[in-house]
Amino acid sequence: MAGIKALVGLSFSGAIGLTFLLLGCALETYGVYWPMFVLIFYVLSPIPTFISRRLSDDSESSNACRELAYFLTTGIVVSSFGLPIVLARTNTIKWGACGLVMTGNAVIFLTILGFFIVFGGGDDWSWEQW
Amino acid sequence: MAGFLDNFRWPECECIDWGERRNAVASIVAGVLFFTGWWIMIDAAVAYPTQEQMNHAFHTCGVFSTIAFFMINAVSNGQVRGDTYGEGCMGRTGARLWLFIGFMMMFGSLIASIWILFGGYVVPKKEVAPGLAVFFQNAFIFFSTLIYKFGRTEDLWG
Repeated sequence: MAGIKALVGLSFSGAIGLTFLLLGCALETYGVYWPMFVLIFYVLSPIPTFISRRLSDDSESSNACRELAYFLTTGIVVSSFGLPIVLARTNTIKWGACGLVMTGNAVIFLTILGFFIVFGGGDDWSWEQW
Repeated sequence: MAGFLDNFRWPECECIDWGERRNAVASIVAGVLFFTGWWIMIDAAVAYPTQEQMNHAFHTCGVFSTIAFFMINAVSNGQVRGDTYGEGCMGRTGARLWLFIGFMMMFGSLIASIWILFGGYVVPKKEVAPGLAVFFQNAFIFFSTLIYKFGRTEDLWG
């Protein structure tokens, strides 16, 4: 395993990202909780990569399944930024909340990327690692 | 005069090895474009909910573009050339027909979106934002398809 420090650092940045999201909902000037729906995108975003790594054994060479996983993951990330923007444009949430949510998005996705970089490149990518 | 740019070379950028990562970059760019197109349409649908501002039938273009994206990218270039082993559903001719129909749907949706923009919004002098949204959705999906289809090289597949 790549180390406790990396794990603690990533969990800290994850908490910071969720804090931004929660601030965007819970501050008194904002007060609406619609932005919490981006949590769905946070949960969905690693899934295509997990599935493609599970299905194909070679970790280095590119293949169509991995590229489809990149495509879908990018789509999920774009959607998590698109949702606050659409909500803000219809004045369901304020633009300040939108900005906080997008900051939280960026931090969370960098955290997830960090997880994949630090903990993802195992020799045998199998469920027994868990 | 002809060929005077032949010896022009971009400044060397050796920082990133584009060769190995070309497929990943193309997939990511295609993903950004495709989903940005859809979110532009979602935004327009939310901001202009009435039938007069944006006829709900205009969603058809985006749906057909998406179907065309998946049709075009379902066949690999190798199958169209006839390189792969095995017959598949109808062999090389079937792959070519599938690709042909997919591209026709894609071009048709793009042309339809341009028609909608000009015929439905610019000429009658209505508020043009929904028409622009339909056009940009289909244009983004079109370019996303091209990048996903032709921006990746199958040589990198193991």
